[in-house]
Amino acid sequence: MDPLLIVLAGGAMLALSIGAGYALGWANRAFHVETDPRIEAVLAALPGANCGGCGFVGCASYAEAVVTAGAAPDKCPVGGASCAEAVARIVGVDLKPSWPQRPVVHCRATYEQRLGRGDYRGEATCAAANLVAGVQGCTYGCLGFGDCKAACAFDAIRIVSGLATIDYEKCTGCGACARVCPRNIITMVPFKRDRMLVVGCSNKDMGRDVKAVCTIGCIGCKACQKASSLFKVENNVPTINYDEYDPDHMEAALLAVEKCPMKGLIFVGRPPRSDASAPGGAEQPIMADFKTTVDDSEWQG
Amino acid sequence: MSSESSTVLSPPGRFAGGVHPPEHKELARHAAIEVLPPPAELALPLLMHTGAPCQPVVQPRAEVVYGALLADSDAFVSAPIHAPAAGVVQREGVATLPNARHVKTIPLKVGPHQMAAEELMADMFGGEWPEDGIADVAPEEIVKAVRAAGIVGQGGAAFPTHVKLARNPKKPVDTILVNGCECEPYLTADYRVMVEAPAPVISGARLAARAAGAATIIIAVEDNKPEAIEALRAAAAGDVKIMSVPTRYPMGGEKQTVRVATGRTIPTGGLPLDVGVVVINVETAAAIARAVWRKKPLTHRVVTVTGGGIAQPKNILAPIGCRYADLVAFCGGLKPEAGRAIAGGPMMGFALGDFNAPVTKGTSGLTVLTAEDVRRAAETPCVRCGRCVEACPLDLMPTRLALAARHKDWNLAKRHHLMACMECGCCAYVCPAAIPLVQLIRMGKVQMMKEVGK
Repeated sequence: MDPLLIVLAGGAMLALSIGAGYALGWANRAFHVETDPRIEAVLAALPGANCGGCGFVGCASYAEAVVTAGAAPDKCPVGGASCAEAVARIVGVDLKPSWPQRPVVHCRATYEQRLGRGDYRGEATCAAANLVAGVQGCTYGCLGFGDCKAACAFDAIRIVSGLATIDYEKCTGCGACARVCPRNIITMVPFKRDRMLVVGCSNKDMGRDVKAVCTIGCIGCKACQKASSLFKVENNVPTINYDEYDPDHMEAALLAVEKCPMKGLIFVGRPPRSDASAPGGAEQPIMADFKTTVDDSEWQG
Repeated sequence: MSSESSTVLSPPGRFAGGVHPPEHKELARHAAIEVLPPPAELALPLLMHTGAPCQPVVQPRAEVVYGALLADSDAFVSAPIHAPAAGVVQREGVATLPNARHVKTIPLKVGPHQMAAEELMADMFGGEWPEDGIADVAPEEIVKAVRAAGIVGQGGAAFPTHVKLARNPKKPVDTILVNGCECEPYLTADYRVMVEAPAPVISGARLAARAAGAATIIIAVEDNKPEAIEALRAAAAGDVKIMSVPTRYPMGGEKQTVRVATGRTIPTGGLPLDVGVVVINVETAAAIARAVWRKKPLTHRVVTVTGGGIAQPKNILAPIGCRYADLVAFCGGLKPEAGRAIAGGPMMGFALGDFNAPVTKGTSGLTVLTAEDVRRAAETPCVRCGRCVEACPLDLMPTRLALAARHKDWNLAKRHHLMACMECGCCAYVCPAAIPLVQLIRMGKVQMMKEVGK
């Protein structure tokens, strides 16, 4: 190849890049748009999960809303209290005290306790099975096909014996599970403590009809309502007034827990600290599992 | 009966798609309608029609007579509920209908003194049905009587009939099409009504025409029921035309019947009313005649109990609110090979989870299939063979709709008219990959309505 040609080509490229560099430098100054640096700062403070749990499209749009539209700084369920504090500091507003919202499955019946279960062969999602009679007797309770599990971006839901079970260590409270549940039995509850008292049933039928479909369903007896003003039985199932919920004064509520004939008022949340410090229980020595994967794996050719 | 008998017409139109599954009508075809003795208790669902649920108008422990009003609603699109037997009203209960609707019911403890079976049968279908004097009945009177009798479409959708018959100046009706196709395999209830009681069907058709202001009356029957065509032809006079239509599922779907019997095409998402037609089922027609001439409400209906899993398949005149278990017991129980019970026919029916569910105004049958009939096939990926597209009588693309539903792609669903699907089941019937197309589409419709609206 002609060396002159190589020099010419290289020179042309060099000239072009210098010219383009100046053009870009000029454009950067000429077309500069003033943005609030706080948006960038807020965005950096947010965890970047883009889960939509704040109610905005993603972290960026929430950051913009916080700075420009005055959205509350504590909307990010993933970031939690420290994130809210940081965001509040950046935008310079006072943080109102708030509690993390966590989902609660208002059903505690596993396959064993559910009656009238049929041989369902259709599409294995709750949304589909909810439109079919006879999947199980109870038309209010968890179906166990795991639409919530599929919707959870944090791997915080497992289906245990047909019951959606939330891992509160992993849960960030984004609310995706509550939105996707076709039976609307997952609600968001303000967790004023690590463990909260919740109602473990959603069946709105009369006691006789509940007994026909579940061995542990709420029979609407109102014993809890009589024991504590925290409970209000409407449509044959109690709800808890979480505004009045005071985790330091639970005497009446604990009496209601005791009085409930179906033992349907339960505490959910993170495992108590004492358990957490001793994984798997103190008595059991931790042993390595020597089972190899060869034994039960299929031959894949 | 009239002196001049009408001839049987051939249909002017046809529809594309559809399937022809094995009919299996021979099981219950020759079983004459039998009356179910009133069981000890009936449970009347407060919502067994399309529209607003009814509210009870009787208190628990109230004694009611046969035909007494039990529940009613102020809403226009609704239908009152009457007592199918004399008895005592019980405390409100609940029932899960086969379509998965969980509804409140009025349980009724049936009293000891009931109408004899022959008397009930004669009251329902026997005796004389006036042929003259229809012109003297005011159309509004007919609509009022139909509303008061709580009549809903007995073909399956249970849409309140008075809504269809009420005249709408914007949408004039020129044709009443009585649907006697009964294209659903196994079922023979409509067939038995046409064979055993053609007179009230024809009388009801005339009343419906009078109410809606229609000049033409056509009774369409599939050509696999020659006895029904003959019985209707012998009973009908010149103004009522009997039409023999080809046997092809879903001929009884109203869009298909209208297209075949009148040659008119109902627009996507439209109703027969849009092309000047009102379609009513044969049993509904008989109920209209009974409501107008005898002032009797809709309290009983003919239900086919059939299938390889039933000891003695029968066509039963059952009180609304009886349990499916009562029907099965009346038919000699289940055979050991029974595998799955379906409320309705195998194509459009709902798998029955609980034999204690009540029979409603829209229940056309109970089909108990054998374990062999319902052998499980595992779902495999779509192979793009296009058989579902070919089979769809509404010219939709079921494979796309199912895909859209599964992945919640509502734009795709809208583009392919998800809401137009009538869930006839032809696509799922022909699918070689055993994809639950209809279930996915059904799920998609509900989810789409919830998330984005129509």
